[in-house]
Amino acid sequence: MHTSHPRLPGELTFMVLAVALSAFMLWAAYGISQFESISSPGVFPMLCAALLLITGLMSLVKTAKARLQLEGETFFQQFVRKLAPLQLVLFTALIVAYALTLEILGFLLGSYLFLLLSMQVLGSKRIGLNLLVSAVVLAAIFVVFQTAFSVVLPAGSLVGPYLPEFLK
Amino acid sequence: MTEILGYFLMSWLDPMMLLLTAAGTFAGIYIGAIPGLSVTMAVSILVSFTFKWDVNHALALISGIYLGGVYGGSRSAILLNIPGAPSAIATGLDGFPLAKRGEAGQAIGLTTVVSVYGGFIGILALAVAAPAVSELALKFGPREYLLLAMWGLLLVGSLSGESLSKGIFSGALGALIACVGLDPMTGEQRLTFGSLQLSAGISYIAAMIGFFGVAEVIAQVHELKLKAVKQNVSKIIPSWSLVRKHLGLATRTSTIGVVVGALPGAGGDIAALMAYDHAKRTVKNPSRPFGEGAYEGLVAPESANNAAVGGAYVPMLTLGIPGDAVTAVIIGALYIHGLKPGPMLMIETPHLFWFIVGSLCLANIFLLVFGLTGIKIFAKIVETPKPVLLPLILVLSAVGAYAINNNPVDVYWMLGFGLLGYLLKMYGFQVGPVILGMILGPMMDRSYRQAMMSTGNDVGLFVTEFFTTPLSAIILAAVVFTVVSQTQWWKKLLRRS
Repeated sequence: MHTSHPRLPGELTFMVLAVALSAFMLWAAYGISQFESISSPGVFPMLCAALLLITGLMSLVKTAKARLQLEGETFFQQFVRKLAPLQLVLFTALIVAYALTLEILGFLLGSYLFLLLSMQVLGSKRIGLNLLVSAVVLAAIFVVFQTAFSVVLPAGSLVGPYLPEFLK
Repeated sequence: MTEILGYFLMSWLDPMMLLLTAAGTFAGIYIGAIPGLSVTMAVSILVSFTFKWDVNHALALISGIYLGGVYGGSRSAILLNIPGAPSAIATGLDGFPLAKRGEAGQAIGLTTVVSVYGGFIGILALAVAAPAVSELALKFGPREYLLLAMWGLLLVGSLSGESLSKGIFSGALGALIACVGLDPMTGEQRLTFGSLQLSAGISYIAAMIGFFGVAEVIAQVHELKLKAVKQNVSKIIPSWSLVRKHLGLATRTSTIGVVVGALPGAGGDIAALMAYDHAKRTVKNPSRPFGEGAYEGLVAPESANNAAVGGAYVPMLTLGIPGDAVTAVIIGALYIHGLKPGPMLMIETPHLFWFIVGSLCLANIFLLVFGLTGIKIFAKIVETPKPVLLPLILVLSAVGAYAINNNPVDVYWMLGFGLLGYLLKMYGFQVGPVILGMILGPMMDRSYRQAMMSTGNDVGLFVTEFFTTPLSAIILAAVVFTVVSQTQWWKKLLRRS
């Protein structure tokens, strides 16, 4: 079983980074207990990191040998089309923002904004329906998880103090 | 015997567990059927929600989701030609042509019956084989466990991806991630870089949700435009003559499913493809040519992938080694509930084993009921537009990660692993081996060190004992064969012969 597909844009950079990270992890694993003993705590991490480095290098060589087929596009155009179309980038940005602000905005507000904006970004243009679906689903999640699963969802440092008790 | 029957019927007689198994199976069918939602994703997210539950309740729900999800994938393969789950890839080959001929109802009906039939064969194999394997596993020492774990990783790495080196890379990455934190044997810091957060280790539940939930959601943005094709699904219950005609094939392919499912690391997806291949080679007069709507092309993969569920539980419960990605997640759930899957589980908690067998049987019955009804609502739900569905899954993933410790740090880990998982997927790496590596890594680490210490750190003796102990030698031969069978040399040899 070997890679026969053409190289994807950014694949070589990704593999170089993977190999560099593997080498760093091997060095870090060596630092745990060096070669103190063949059954020391550092041996298994070292073996894993070495395996990571070897297989990473093998994949890097295969990737370097494979050709990039640009099909009349520039490198950047193909990268955007195959890996990072605008919709995907925006959606990912929203996910990152959602995760980072979850504690500040709280679960209810943060999730509601995230749902609305992402539905919009992903192409669900019926705003009224988005508003309704987001609210209904969020209410269901909130009730089910707070009661059936006893999950305490973050109330949010920004809005939490102003929320009624049953929404916390 | 009465005791066993009591444990077996536990989930049948308790209304709450009955409800949870039914709900799990129902939800599993829909989760499996909606392209983009996977059983692994659902179970990963659910495991974090069921932390505080009684273990039996959690297992009843998870058993239902697992069985329902493996079956559910076939629905969208038949109706939309998009396999809802990897184990349904082969199903679409003949299922969709059948749907195009207006026989979607019959195809779904037959699929349901043979899935339930395969499911029962798998559960029967689990009930018969697990106690025997468990007895044998008591003879296993650290060396055998090390080899079994290595074999599992190699199998999943080599069978599920396009490249063995990428498969091993993913497995090693998972094992290395699992090393982060305090060494369980000496308490020494490993790969923590002085961080207090890292000393506690990286939550594999957060990693699972990241790799299977977030990464999949991001990857699905590439397929937003796929539209559902409406099919005629009025007559669904298949005729007895149609079912009887295919029982022989279903029995054979279910056996394949059980065996493949029981191999550490190989799950329903591989079982289904092998069963389809078996049907193609052995059925002389299919109802129609394969690929053009042969019922045999549906029966083989669908009976095999459900039989593989029972098979996958065998190494999970008896050896603590996951049969596939879903059982890797279930092992995680068992650990969280304070249970240690392995040969001692059957001895110390036999009730749990028979409870699982009972729950799986019950879920299989619910599968028959839900599989043959509610098709109209089903068609509507499967058509839920992805722009609405994907953000919802993401919110559920975030809640799942947060619920692990009520700590946003796990949400950040989930996010990080999700982004990494997306890039890995895009560049041809499988994420399944990463999770298996995380589960098997600590076992390999412990087994390796125990085996080495038992020889007084004598490397020569450590290596020799792999060949001189019969059990080790057999497993080692399997490991070596797995590697050799992936080489160009072996493939050339096969082609020549």
